[in-house]
Amino acid sequence: MLYCWTRFSGSADSCLKMKRSLGSKSSNNSSSSSNTKAKKKKTTSNQKTLGVAWGAASLSSSRSSFRSSPFSDFGSYMSEKNRKLHNQFDAEASTDFYGVSGSENLIFQGVSIFVDGFTVPSSQELRGYMLKYGGRFENYFSRRSVTHIICSNLPDSKIKNLRSFSRGLPVVKPTWILDSISAKRLLSWVPYQLDQLTDAQPKLSAFFAPKSHSVPEVVSTDMTCQPTSRFCDIRMNEAEVANLFRAAKFGEGREHENDETDGVYLEITTRERMDPAISGDRKSSELNSEELDYCGIEEKEVNSDFPSCSEHPPASTNISFCENDTNDDISTATTAVCSKRRHSTLEDPNFVENYFKSSRLHFIGTWRKRYRKRFHGSSDGLKSTDSGHNAVGSPKKTAFIHIDLDCFFVSVVIKNCPELQDKPVAVCHSDNPKGTAEISSANYPARAYGVKAGMFVRNAKDLCPQLIIVPYNFEAYEEVADHFYDILHKHCRKVQAISCDEAFLDVSDLDDVDPEILASMIRKEVFETTGCSASAGIGSTMLMARLATRTAKPAGQFHIPSDKVDEYLDQLPVDVLPGVGYVLKEKLKKHNIQTCSQLRLVSKDSLQKDFGMKTGEMLWSYSRGLDHRSVRTVQENKSIGADVNWGVRFRNQQDIQHFLQCLCKEVSLRLQGCEMLGRTFTLKIKKRRKDAAEPAKYMGCGDCDNLSRSITVPVATDDVEVLQRISKKLFGSFFLDVKEIRGVGLQVSKLESVDSSKRGSTRTLESYLSFVSAQTEQRVNSRAAKVGGSSADCERHVTADDTRVGESDRAESSIQTSEIHSFSENQASSVPPLCHLDMEVLESLPSEVVAELDQTYGGKLVGLIEKRRGKGKTKSNSSLVSLDDVKSANSLPSKMCSLSTHEEEECEEPRQGISSEPTIEMADLMPLSFSQVDISVLQELPEDLRAGLLGALPAHRKQHSPSDTPTMETEHDKEPVEVGEAQNEIGFSDKNLWIGNPPIWVEKFKVSSHHILKNVSEMYCKLVVQSRPKLSSILQHAIFSISSSYDSSANDLEEALYNVCELLRQYIKLKIEGDIEEIYLCFRLLKRLALRCQFFLQVYEIVSPFLQACIGENYGGNLNIS
Amino acid sequence: MPMSRNDDHQSSSGELAQTLVEFLEVAVSSIVFLKGVYPSEAFERQRYMNVVVQRARHPELRDYIHSATSGLLPFIQKDLVERVAVIFFNKDNIPIERFIFKLTINPSHETDAAQLEFSLRSFLIKLPFSKPLLKTLPLDCRWEVTAYLRSLPEVGSSKDAETWIPTDTKQWQKPPLITPIKSLDSDPLCLQLYLEHPSSS
Repeated sequence: MLYCWTRFSGSADSCLKMKRSLGSKSSNNSSSSSNTKAKKKKTTSNQKTLGVAWGAASLSSSRSSFRSSPFSDFGSYMSEKNRKLHNQFDAEASTDFYGVSGSENLIFQGVSIFVDGFTVPSSQELRGYMLKYGGRFENYFSRRSVTHIICSNLPDSKIKNLRSFSRGLPVVKPTWILDSISAKRLLSWVPYQLDQLTDAQPKLSAFFAPKSHSVPEVVSTDMTCQPTSRFCDIRMNEAEVANLFRAAKFGEGREHENDETDGVYLEITTRERMDPAISGDRKSSELNSEELDYCGIEEKEVNSDFPSCSEHPPASTNISFCENDTNDDISTATTAVCSKRRHSTLEDPNFVENYFKSSRLHFIGTWRKRYRKRFHGSSDGLKSTDSGHNAVGSPKKTAFIHIDLDCFFVSVVIKNCPELQDKPVAVCHSDNPKGTAEISSANYPARAYGVKAGMFVRNAKDLCPQLIIVPYNFEAYEEVADHFYDILHKHCRKVQAISCDEAFLDVSDLDDVDPEILASMIRKEVFETTGCSASAGIGSTMLMARLATRTAKPAGQFHIPSDKVDEYLDQLPVDVLPGVGYVLKEKLKKHNIQTCSQLRLVSKDSLQKDFGMKTGEMLWSYSRGLDHRSVRTVQENKSIGADVNWGVRFRNQQDIQHFLQCLCKEVSLRLQGCEMLGRTFTLKIKKRRKDAAEPAKYMGCGDCDNLSRSITVPVATDDVEVLQRISKKLFGSFFLDVKEIRGVGLQVSKLESVDSSKRGSTRTLESYLSFVSAQTEQRVNSRAAKVGGSSADCERHVTADDTRVGESDRAESSIQTSEIHSFSENQASSVPPLCHLDMEVLESLPSEVVAELDQTYGGKLVGLIEKRRGKGKTKSNSSLVSLDDVKSANSLPSKMCSLSTHEEEECEEPRQGISSEPTIEMADLMPLSFSQVDISVLQELPEDLRAGLLGALPAHRKQHSPSDTPTMETEHDKEPVEVGEAQNEIGFSDKNLWIGNPPIWVEKFKVSSHHILKNVSEMYCKLVVQSRPKLSSILQHAIFSISSSYDSSANDLEEALYNVCELLRQYIKLKIEGDIEEIYLCFRLLKRLALRCQFFLQVYEIVSPFLQACIGENYGGNLNIS
Repeated sequence: MPMSRNDDHQSSSGELAQTLVEFLEVAVSSIVFLKGVYPSEAFERQRYMNVVVQRARHPELRDYIHSATSGLLPFIQKDLVERVAVIFFNKDNIPIERFIFKLTINPSHETDAAQLEFSLRSFLIKLPFSKPLLKTLPLDCRWEVTAYLRSLPEVGSSKDAETWIPTDTKQWQKPPLITPIKSLDSDPLCLQLYLEHPSSS
């Protein structure tokens, strides 16, 4: 006798033998359906616990049943049980109880599910569905009977070990079943695959993302042609207004800071009002002036009352939208100015500029720069004395003062408003009714209510209803900070600026002055000059000074003598120590450490063991009041950059391109501000995490994946155009859906100061090219949009874009040159004026190049040359270079074109003059080695220029990494036969073909007319994802793709054979010493290729003797390629 | 076979030699196992560099392999060893198959222990896959470990050196056929493992 139960038999009734009540409608409920499990019952005492505690019951009952049952082991028991469960299931299904089981409803025919873990709907409901719709339901997993595993969530261990868990079966979410039922057919399970799994697996579609997105992009520009032009209008209007306002602002002068702020506010509100008006009615300039007048009047009316926006009732829904949804991200701290206007990159063309104009963190960040400039001289003295101080090992008494302005951001703003002094005030960028902005600083009266920085205005007002919110006043901050540091530097030479309102002074040397007196003197002076109170802490170490300030606040000072250190620290909670944050505090709490005295009981070793070397050391010494730091100058920035993580939303590629351009402008300005040039550029992207909902903070970045890529260029730069090109390239390498982007940052590192790398302001050809190509692309973009109907152009553009993204530097530069080619049609605005052209250069150019240039100059060029030469020359009447030519343009003319544009560029620099040494610039342009120079280009050059180029080569070789060689580097085989000879002449005799990254041969083969060579080269480009793919992997791929078809002419064949053999020979030489495995692999593959393709058979036969000779030489044997 | 691993990231060239000798010991054991000179019961599974390898159970065999490879240490340290061969030969002392480790050490480079371990591990993984390339051995075959030195060491330069004797194994008359198994081309160590078979012609 046997009784069966399942783990979901949820009711105690199930221990009774029950006949299923056919009339029950609630059959989907687990209680009644589980009853059906029990077929035969044996009344034993333990059955009462069934279903309540299945584990325990099953053990005891199975043991007891084993004793009396015929089963020899658990296995046979289980098989019997499964059989019975199947029978039950079948019986239930056949009774038609679960509803109509007409053949049309058997959508799950052949599907057998196993439910793993908790699901919604429950496994019992799922079982019901399976019964009803012709599927099967397995209680126990078996590879043979189960077809789908249904679950909503998997533990990590199962995810990691998915194959052993699922045995290759699909793991599907329960909604698959529900959706299938509602669709009345069996849907594909693929979209319902468990999210955890789909996340882990990179999707193929992700790789094609840029392509699929760029197509609709172009289409959409077609569609939105009309609106775009309107947007342009608006943008222009805006710019006008902004300019006018700026002018007005400066005109008024800086009499009063509050006025200043109001001006900004006004400007914004006006703009907000205008935009809907313009876009709605399309009124133009009269309206502008009207509005302007209106603003001008209001500006006078507005007083210091905050918020000024309350005076302007929302003119349209647009405004209210802005107001309501204003929010702030603490990390990016966008401020009032920004919040009152368009909030995202979507709507505001000047987003980046405005963003940084009004960011508090940005202010703090850039303040440091300002400080360094201002106090550079005084910190010099610090360095020298400082080193001496360190060397002594500080045997004498040290004394530090830590001085901090009290609630700087508030007190500066309210210092001129005595009526606010004693009221609770907080600084925040916005005081909107929703109160979702974050408070950045609060004064002491407000703090007494519990208002803290980082709190939402809403919550703060709950705590303190009379809280007054004031906006930032950056200019005042700057002024106060400057005064503050003036005073500090006056009293002490050793000043370390921590922030705009906080500094350390090293007063150990000032023997004659008591630090306490000095501190009070400074504080007094600070208060008198700036109107802000400062607190000071004095201690024997920087740590103690800082801790003392904590006690001193507000507006006081406190001295911790060295003998009182332990006493002071004893009861100090650990999280007060600098460097101890929330995480570390919690960790310490777990070790039962909450105060410094407890911390002191732990040995240094065990601290270091538990928290790491550095942190352990820090905790150990800090808990003893030790601090080995000494006052230093402000550290040099390691990198300069800008991040925007708030309000970032893009619709299409154009949006992001525009945004990147603005960001680059900002970064370039910052670089220039610091007088720095950078070599490494890192683009950081915040990408919306899959499934991340729209963030709680309006326009915040939410839950994001952080991606970053960087590139290093050989010559440091701050040139905005180079930045733009690089950032564009970096962005392209991400292959992202622009809609997913929530934040973009650009950092420049490997900084050099401008002086050290002073090269005048010569623009390199690289930058020029990139500039031109960027422009071209824009034009091409806009043109594609304009053309609209002609899809051919659009497509061309898309492919060009794609190749750009997908291919390596070198490929890109060739495309760039080809873009220049196409560019010549509408370049007129950016080419140098005719009078700046060097006629000698022009004359020595090939005629077709001149013709092209001529188009650029609208036909004037030829006339000029004719005049000069006195020779007749037919004016080229070829039509505009169409976009379709772009692809084929990768040849001599375009290259010459780029070169010649460069020469013109050179002429454009008045300082340099035409006769200046070409080498200065050449150094930036020259390829790594002479082998990469296109000889034919060189030969076309005038004598003196060629000499200059050759002279520039050796000096240059040192600086360049191969990947960065711009332009001019590649071979081109326009006339294949000649090239074959040329090779011998110029001599690629040695390992040249494998030099560079990508190696030279890739480019060489790409332009070859032989399809196999092309094929191989393309293969390399595909594989380039791996760093420097090996030849064997290329050949391996070639096996699948190279067809046996053979259609080349004899000429082609010879040349191609020669090239491939040379390639192999050089590869053998390269690898023979270190990697015969690779050679072996290559020749095995070559042999397989030879079976399919005559071409490779010949190659194999030609190269084999060479190979064997090499092997014999190095290894004393023959390679066994059987 | 004490497989004590040094977890330092940077190890000197001396440690490189030590690692290499250790690796050779394991590799030779694996080769002997692979060739099936002894019944497979004579070996036991062990982990080395996180790979399952076979180690001789018999103390004498184990000692022979250990002494043979560790005896190489002074020569490797002096960069005298050009090749290490595991030679299988028949009763007439004619080699049937030779496993060659060809090494080039560039002591000037710092060794990244983790990187080295990663590279050497791939040898141990690849080695069992060379089985189809191998020839079956005659019944009464023997094997030896032979080191080819770049120059003869001074006699008595070290105690370890004394355990090495000139080999009397015959050489092949014709250049052998070479079948590469695995190559490592990195900076401190360049190591090639390949098979040599007598040329068929």
